[in-house]
Amino acid sequence: MEQPITILIAALGGEGGGVMADWLMEAATATGLPAQATSIPGVAQRTGATTYYLEIFPQERKSLGGKEPVLSLTPSPGNVDIMVASELVEAGRAMQNGYVSPERTTLIASTHRIYATVEKMQMADGRFDSDKVVAAGSQLAKTAVMFDMRKLAQENGTVINAVLFGAMAGSGVLPLSREACEAAIRKAGRGAEASLRGFAAGFEIAGGTRRAPEQAAKPKRATSVEEILPLAKERLEDYQGERYAAIYAERIKPFLAGDAKVAATVARHLATWMAYEDIIRVADLKTRSSRFARVRKEVGAKEGEPVVVIDYLKPGVEEFASVLPHFLGKKIIEWAEKNGKLDAYNVGMHIRTSGIFGYALVRSLAWLKPWRPFSYRYREEQRLIERWLSLVSEAARRDAGLAFEVAECARLIKGYGETHRRGKGNFLAIVDALVENPATTDVSEQRKAIRTARDAALADPEGKALGSTLGKPVMWMKPVKSA
Amino acid sequence: MERQFTREIESLRLGDGATFHGEGILAVTKALLQSGVSYVGGYQGAPVSHLLDVMVQARDYMDELGVHVEACTSEASAAAMLGASINYPARGAVTWKSIVGTNVAADALSYLASAGVMGGTLIVLGEDYGEGGVVAQERSHAFALKSLMWLLDPRPNLPKIVEMVEKGFELSEISNSPVMMELRIRACHVQGEFKTKKNLAPAVSTRLKLDGPPKEFIYDRLAHPPATFRQEKLKAEVRLPAARRFVLENKLNETFDGDEKQLGIIIQGGLYNGLMLALKTLGLADAFGSARIPILVLNCVYPLVPEELIEFAKTKKAVLVLEEGQPEFIEQEIATVLRRVDAQAKLHGKDCMHMAGDYNVESLVRGLTRFLAQHAPHLNTASGASWLNSVQRTKEKAAELLDTLPMRPPTFCTGCPERPVFSAMKLVAQDIGRPHVSMDVGCHCFGSFEPFSQGNTLLGYGMSLASAAGVGPMSSRRPVAIMGDGGFWHNGLLSGVASNLLNKGDGVLVIMKNGYASATGTQELLSSPPEDARMVAVGGSSVHADRTIEDTLTGLGVKWLRTVNNYKVGEVAKVYKEAMSTDFKGLKVIVAEGECQLERQRRLKPQVARDLSDGTRTVRVKYGVDEDTCTGDHSCIRLSGCPTLTVRDNPDPLRTDPIATVIDGCVGCGLCGENAHAAVLCPSFYRAEVIQNPNWWDKLWNNR
Repeated sequence: MEQPITILIAALGGEGGGVMADWLMEAATATGLPAQATSIPGVAQRTGATTYYLEIFPQERKSLGGKEPVLSLTPSPGNVDIMVASELVEAGRAMQNGYVSPERTTLIASTHRIYATVEKMQMADGRFDSDKVVAAGSQLAKTAVMFDMRKLAQENGTVINAVLFGAMAGSGVLPLSREACEAAIRKAGRGAEASLRGFAAGFEIAGGTRRAPEQAAKPKRATSVEEILPLAKERLEDYQGERYAAIYAERIKPFLAGDAKVAATVARHLATWMAYEDIIRVADLKTRSSRFARVRKEVGAKEGEPVVVIDYLKPGVEEFASVLPHFLGKKIIEWAEKNGKLDAYNVGMHIRTSGIFGYALVRSLAWLKPWRPFSYRYREEQRLIERWLSLVSEAARRDAGLAFEVAECARLIKGYGETHRRGKGNFLAIVDALVENPATTDVSEQRKAIRTARDAALADPEGKALGSTLGKPVMWMKPVKSA
Repeated sequence: MERQFTREIESLRLGDGATFHGEGILAVTKALLQSGVSYVGGYQGAPVSHLLDVMVQARDYMDELGVHVEACTSEASAAAMLGASINYPARGAVTWKSIVGTNVAADALSYLASAGVMGGTLIVLGEDYGEGGVVAQERSHAFALKSLMWLLDPRPNLPKIVEMVEKGFELSEISNSPVMMELRIRACHVQGEFKTKKNLAPAVSTRLKLDGPPKEFIYDRLAHPPATFRQEKLKAEVRLPAARRFVLENKLNETFDGDEKQLGIIIQGGLYNGLMLALKTLGLADAFGSARIPILVLNCVYPLVPEELIEFAKTKKAVLVLEEGQPEFIEQEIATVLRRVDAQAKLHGKDCMHMAGDYNVESLVRGLTRFLAQHAPHLNTASGASWLNSVQRTKEKAAELLDTLPMRPPTFCTGCPERPVFSAMKLVAQDIGRPHVSMDVGCHCFGSFEPFSQGNTLLGYGMSLASAAGVGPMSSRRPVAIMGDGGFWHNGLLSGVASNLLNKGDGVLVIMKNGYASATGTQELLSSPPEDARMVAVGGSSVHADRTIEDTLTGLGVKWLRTVNNYKVGEVAKVYKEAMSTDFKGLKVIVAEGECQLERQRRLKPQVARDLSDGTRTVRVKYGVDEDTCTGDHSCIRLSGCPTLTVRDNPDPLRTDPIATVIDGCVGCGLCGENAHAAVLCPSFYRAEVIQNPNWWDKLWNNR
């Protein structure tokens, strides 16, 4: 008994899923096959996940003797011949809904990621592990055709739907010829040439006559002390000169003889901490010629197209105080903290850093570099760094695992303004409650407590999770005045 | 309007014997014209927006035919419009999303159904029940029952849908009752074909005008006592029997025979295709709709025809009723009918199937298996069980391999003017605490998802301010109501603002003035910006050019009224904070201005393409994040959620957390920079202006 070929397309709004459904309908109709397409767009087309569903009966209508197949409007698990996903996690979702079955389904999925808001908004790294989906795809599908189709689409100046359509046709499971598919694209008009290029690329890769594009290599991480030390030296010399880099070398030395993991963790955090981002540093980074070259590349400016760069800066009390002499800066910060004025006097500036005046203004801040060691912020940072280092060495004398957990707490300190204050506050709260005054003498319990608290600090920006972990509220929100 | 229907308008003109290709809801549109409809109205909403959108765009052709098209301001006005068919032989059709639209229309519908109609009236309902549904889950069926309006539920196939539209008008005229036709979301969007007939010129139209009102005063056409008592009797004694006769004689319902004659299935027309797949899975049907069990397909689900049901069931051992949703109206009536004649067929329905939610193929296979196990153990249904098992295994395996996947709810478009308002509200909440927020229907409802996660109630379209009326007096902090301009004109002005003013309420109302009913496809509103202002604005916002909302509010007596530019987050936050903390007692309205980005991009894209090819100087704006100053704490994302503000691997080998980045697709709205300022986030954001076709000054002065 002949069965319809069933096709489920999972796409995100704006990726041309509807156009692809139209191409398929057109190609099927032109081939003389009964076909039906339907969808549930609605508001889901506003950048959410949406699906299109098609059934194509693989026998020509004229050979059916006047009978019409009854085609289904709804996909059902286990009954999908071709599962198309324009994005990797959407492919995973299709698998979880049972639409990818080992007996029947050819999975056509792009391996690129478009992160969901919940992944992006985490304070640390909330991204779903792509490898999991790729592995599941090859286990669950009858055939899996997976490669970075977005990249191919970009290379061919088209939208991802063309590449997906090509991959579908090239995988040999559509009851439609390549010519029929291409004719459908041509008939739809607008952008047909680019779509045809994308189609051809997808077709040939799925058919095995062209190699899939290489996956972009994961960026290198410096994980061992041997890798970290040269990078740290280079960064700190750039940051404050050779003497400053020498302080780093002095500070890390005692750890090098100890546990390798602890040494690497301390080395890494110490380097980034010592190169803390004050306005001098930011001004320096923002006015380098390499930066303007990078911006040009990121915004895709072509040769001969000038690019104006406008920076959004809003320095306030903290930034101002940070470059003052220590005694003065300290007074101002103490006053501002007491009166809740830390965020009160920020000056919003849109500085045209690419222009002569803007450049001169920002660059002149960078020239304050030699003054940095006399500044308020410098003294404060070094003091906290020393405290952290001594806590790590103290812990290392008891247990390497504990030392690692203490060292890793430095990860919490990052960002600017309120984000930085919050991170530092979390760091101090954990140090106070779990490192300096632990409730337990058992090392493994203490390790676990620190790790849990650190994860909690990174779980939500309001400090709710950390508060409940430490058993007392961590207040970063300004006290609420009742109306 | 978001979509252009140029090709579809052409297909509305097709004559006798041509083939129409297109989606279900547009087939309905064509069928209305084939039926000689005089007037069409409605209110937009998925999945029926296209019916009205295409007619509005085809205004010239409608004029040619003499068909009047009205984009009503609410379903209530659409329903009331059907009053034209009470006294005149004019066919009329209206459409809206149901259950919500029918709720809004209910008052006028009761009166319409009571008075009865002379010209055929058809109400096309986008039945938003089950999968993909975005409204409260209720069935429109209840309205048919209480008002005695007839309800069609055609098999989801274009020729059948078109036939039911045509028959629907006849049914309405013969029984003097309004007829509703429910189409589920997938049926509205199903692509298919049918053989067309030529359009009928309406009997009464903008070209063939009426002489005047009826010659004599006929009190009985008013739904007013004492006529209402007669009308109530007429419904039972004349209209209902006439409708039943018509349904029977015209075979609106279909019976498909099968060799297992002792069994039978009665099903709503709209579910038919799913049933056929379920039967095929059980090995009891082929691909062409030939099944082993006899099936009665109810293309008309109200009224049911007792003779037809008895005829179908009287010699059977057991009958299964497949009726989606609760309560089981159809099953109960069938039970009554069969019991009255003492027919002995065993009746099944909700005992085999679940009560709430849609009937997908898995649940149908399970239900049918239960039914067949009791009454036809000789049938081999093992293929169904093995399919269910393998589906179960696959799902379990996937769950084990993938764990919990991140959810991806819809969100504001890139550059949406409503996102910045929620950024500002989130910032102010950190200062003065979280208020009670009553939400409304519209794009702004996405503010309930991450990263904003706000909103305490959702009570319907234009209802946000009204739903805060009881909260305010009991709260120490002022409640806030969010409302779109769509909701404002739909219902919010009267239910919310007028009621608040009458009662001297306190509270804050934020009106998102984006210029259109955006969520449903950017349909025009009373306050949409004038055409010339849009042409001037091109990619900018033009909504400031219309002041109808502000003037209306002032005229009504709103004393505290501020207009803000949404993208200036700091200023929005300031005004919002002032509204929340001012000593002024009374309604405080913030009109948050920013034109829908979809409309702006629709104007901008062709203009930019023209400028670039003409050699005109063009500035393309994109925002970016400096990778060496971003420390990867993502506080900018927690204030935005923009699709183009995302994360990527940290290029610094000494750091692990991903950094923020702005990807292609950024429309340069500036929110990320404004947020960085308003929240004092970090100095990493920059605005880049790429100057295409630069002039000599650019080359000299801006050449970086």
